[in-house]
Amino acid sequence: MRTARITPMPRRNLMDFGFPQTTDSKILQEYITQQGNKLETGKSRVPPTVTNAVSWRSEGIKYKKNEVFIDVVESVNLLVNANAACCSARSWAPSSSRCSCRACRSLRLGLNDRVLFELTGRSKSKSVELEDVKFHQCVRLSRFDNDRTISFIPPDGDFELMSYRLNTQVKPLIWIESVIEKFSHSRVEIMVKAKGQFKKQSVANGVEISVPVPSDADSPRFKTSVGSAKYVPEKNVVIWSIKSFPGGKEYLMRAHFGLPSVEKEEVEGRPPIGVKFEIPYFTVSGIQVRYMKIIEKSGYQALPWVRYITQSGDYQLRTS
Amino acid sequence: MPYLGSEDVVKELKKALCNPHIQADRLRYRNVIQRVIRMPGVQEYIQQPILNGLRDKASYVRRVAVLGCAKMHNLHGDSEVDGALVNELYSLLRDQDPIVVVNCLRSLEEILKQEGGVVINKPIAHHLLNRMSKLDQWGQAEVLHFLLRYQPRSEEELFDILNLLDSFLKSSSAGVVMGAAKLFLILAKKFPHVQTDVLVRVKGPLLAACSSESRELCFAALCHVRQILHSLPGHFSSQYKKFFCSYSEPHYIKLQKVEVLCELVNDENVQQVLEELRGYCTDVSADFAQAAIFAIGNIARTYTDQCVQILTELLELRQEHITTVVVQTFRDLVWLCPQCTEAVCRALPGCEEHIQDSEGKQALIWLLGVHGERIPNAPYVLEDFVENVKSETFPAVKMELLTALLRLFLSRPAECQDMLGRLLHYCIEEEKDMAVRDRGLFCYRLLLAGVDEAKRILCSPKSDPSLRLLEDQAERPVNSWAADFNTLVPVYGKARWAVISKCQGPERCGPELPNTASFATSGPLIPQEDKERGQDLPDSGALMLVPDCQLTAEYFEKTWLSLQVAHQQVLPWQGAVHPDTFQMALQVVNIQTIAMSRAGAQPWKAYLSAQDDTGCLFLTELLLEPKTSEMQVSVKQSEARTETLNSFMSVLETVIGTIGDLKS
Repeated sequence: MRTARITPMPRRNLMDFGFPQTTDSKILQEYITQQGNKLETGKSRVPPTVTNAVSWRSEGIKYKKNEVFIDVVESVNLLVNANAACCSARSWAPSSSRCSCRACRSLRLGLNDRVLFELTGRSKSKSVELEDVKFHQCVRLSRFDNDRTISFIPPDGDFELMSYRLNTQVKPLIWIESVIEKFSHSRVEIMVKAKGQFKKQSVANGVEISVPVPSDADSPRFKTSVGSAKYVPEKNVVIWSIKSFPGGKEYLMRAHFGLPSVEKEEVEGRPPIGVKFEIPYFTVSGIQVRYMKIIEKSGYQALPWVRYITQSGDYQLRTS
Repeated sequence: MPYLGSEDVVKELKKALCNPHIQADRLRYRNVIQRVIRMPGVQEYIQQPILNGLRDKASYVRRVAVLGCAKMHNLHGDSEVDGALVNELYSLLRDQDPIVVVNCLRSLEEILKQEGGVVINKPIAHHLLNRMSKLDQWGQAEVLHFLLRYQPRSEEELFDILNLLDSFLKSSSAGVVMGAAKLFLILAKKFPHVQTDVLVRVKGPLLAACSSESRELCFAALCHVRQILHSLPGHFSSQYKKFFCSYSEPHYIKLQKVEVLCELVNDENVQQVLEELRGYCTDVSADFAQAAIFAIGNIARTYTDQCVQILTELLELRQEHITTVVVQTFRDLVWLCPQCTEAVCRALPGCEEHIQDSEGKQALIWLLGVHGERIPNAPYVLEDFVENVKSETFPAVKMELLTALLRLFLSRPAECQDMLGRLLHYCIEEEKDMAVRDRGLFCYRLLLAGVDEAKRILCSPKSDPSLRLLEDQAERPVNSWAADFNTLVPVYGKARWAVISKCQGPERCGPELPNTASFATSGPLIPQEDKERGQDLPDSGALMLVPDCQLTAEYFEKTWLSLQVAHQQVLPWQGAVHPDTFQMALQVVNIQTIAMSRAGAQPWKAYLSAQDDTGCLFLTELLLEPKTSEMQVSVKQSEARTETLNSFMSVLETVIGTIGDLKS
């Protein structure tokens, strides 16, 4: 008889008597076996990863093609107040890695880290000042402290390798100018101008600009120079979607809404304009993965692939 | 399997568990386990398997067995602590597997709770420090907490430990970073420059936590930032932008951020901070707008001119909730910063039309009374109030009106005489509220005594504003709050957290907590919200103390002298008493203070009273003789009932014990 039920084991392995035990989700997944198969004697064993010193990687993993993917994803947060003065713009980056590599082998990553360059006497070259660097458990911190080498035994699958923060002033990548004119009892006219303030060779993908609209507005009418605009009444916003936004370009959207003749009693808040975007092959900081060495005795090759992406984090521009 | 006698059942189950056929079949195995669990009296049989588990080869088994020891001890209630088991657990601290080590610490802490928890001596401390890097983040955070108990013997050892801990300040887990920071602060008690240095290094992670997506982490981090700012006011000044409020943030976080903003203002950032706060003052949420205005008022103590200008502009919006708070802020400001009186007086005319609430009216009337000479139409505004005094609902407003009009009469007699007369007539003849009537009579009699006498009393020299408010504490040294870092004390406030944590005994039923709004506005470390009534403390058991039972001093004395002492006890006590903390904590458990010596008096005495729901009175005398480390407690009860007396004593002991712990 088969029982289809999620076994409660992972919960107990996570917390026992109120104390956290194992929290690595990959290891916990090894406990969940949905099939009600008969266990053969001798094979039943606890995943050795739970008892290993290297608690994040199981042994005996084999792949046909050994690859290491590194995604350097930088998120840009922006807060602009109503006077269009940039309050703060900062970026932080969880740089994640995906590893499909056989066996526990050590990897070494080289970045153009300013502190490293100064240590090795290359302070003239273009480098990046990283602050508040945090690593995954697998990275050997002692080596990083000594000579800024990032050396690690990667877990299998996706994991976040390191995250850092940049405190340098960042120019807002997509700048929005908006004019919202509200004629009470009659209409609301919105004009939004979006400017891409990044280099011409780069293109922002999936740009979505959400402009807040009074909750009692009706009969939307839009005119856009590029992309399409959609009214989302549940969220009281207009979403202007631009699939592909090259750097240096400027685009315009106009929207017109009617307002009821009876004005609403409650006062509404003034939510900011939010922007979502993703710019591939581009980093705000200029960070570069200079090399990726795999320390492997048996001489098998693993291919490293590096991808740079800049995306929007908490990107808000206040309206007056 | 048929039901056999208990011993036989145990044997059968043991055989079943070891049977490989059953082990292979998951369902059958599970069934046997469930039968074991449901067997009555299984507790007697679990000790041996757990002890075996402690010595198992597989580390996974050892981990579970170690925690099993703690659970076993819990099941057996108040039984004696098994010495052999404790020794075994202490020796398992040297285990290979890091999680076993940490589980041992947790287990020992539970088992030895009565004796104060696990003991960290030098070999254990050094062993833990050396193995820290192998632990996961939870283990590291726990070990850092346990290491707080260890006192290094020499300065060299101290600095060795600090060097080891250095790398944990850069951990990716906020819990580990804060735990390490706290350990640094405690260990480096005698080295303030090391403490300052650690607070600088922990700035980055703390700021990251303040902008975290997890709201709880964000709130706790903001409370810690405020804590640090009490000692190092300029610490976060350059990162003020991180504390700007985003539209979608919840109310309680916005309030905390506003509080932080007004504490980190300095010459360089004041312009931008004020601009940002100005934006918040017109927020759709009235609460938040008012909090922002109060914050501007706070900043105005140092940067008066700019703030007064902003506040004046806000008055022009003519919005009720804004105007009332601005006027209250002005009232506080003219007392602290007399130089802005002119500007305030110019801004006031026109406000009266937009204020409806009691606080705002009182503030406006006070300002008109005290500075009425500079405000041309002051008498006419007050005349409006006098005309409408019959329909005025707030007695506090009427009392303020009396005083203000009296003051204004002394400086502008011709314009005020007539309406003062009418007001006094109304208050004395027709007013129903006795406090207002009393005030009216007082004013009348004062005037009868003569204008000079009245002037002497009402226009006496004002206190020196440079003395500032009593609330404004001087910068506190870091050591005063280092022990509370990375706990819930900065979130709740010291006195309140002490009471909450004492009440959470093994029964695990805490008191009802008031809503979060009061937490968000907790200002100084001894919060006002402790005065909330209606809290049940389960400690009192059969005893229910009634709040709001106020006895007059005469009644107390009379009753005290007429009763015999029902119970006397001596409680340990160290050092001097802080009367305010004491009074506050007693009030939380509904014990009223009739009289208390001031701090530092020798001998120190206090007289307390409490009443339970049956009307039985408990009168208490506390006596602290100089140069003794004990407090004598004498309790008199108006009706002889031992049970309630014992409950009352336990409540009193709890509170005194809590206050004693607070200071140490």
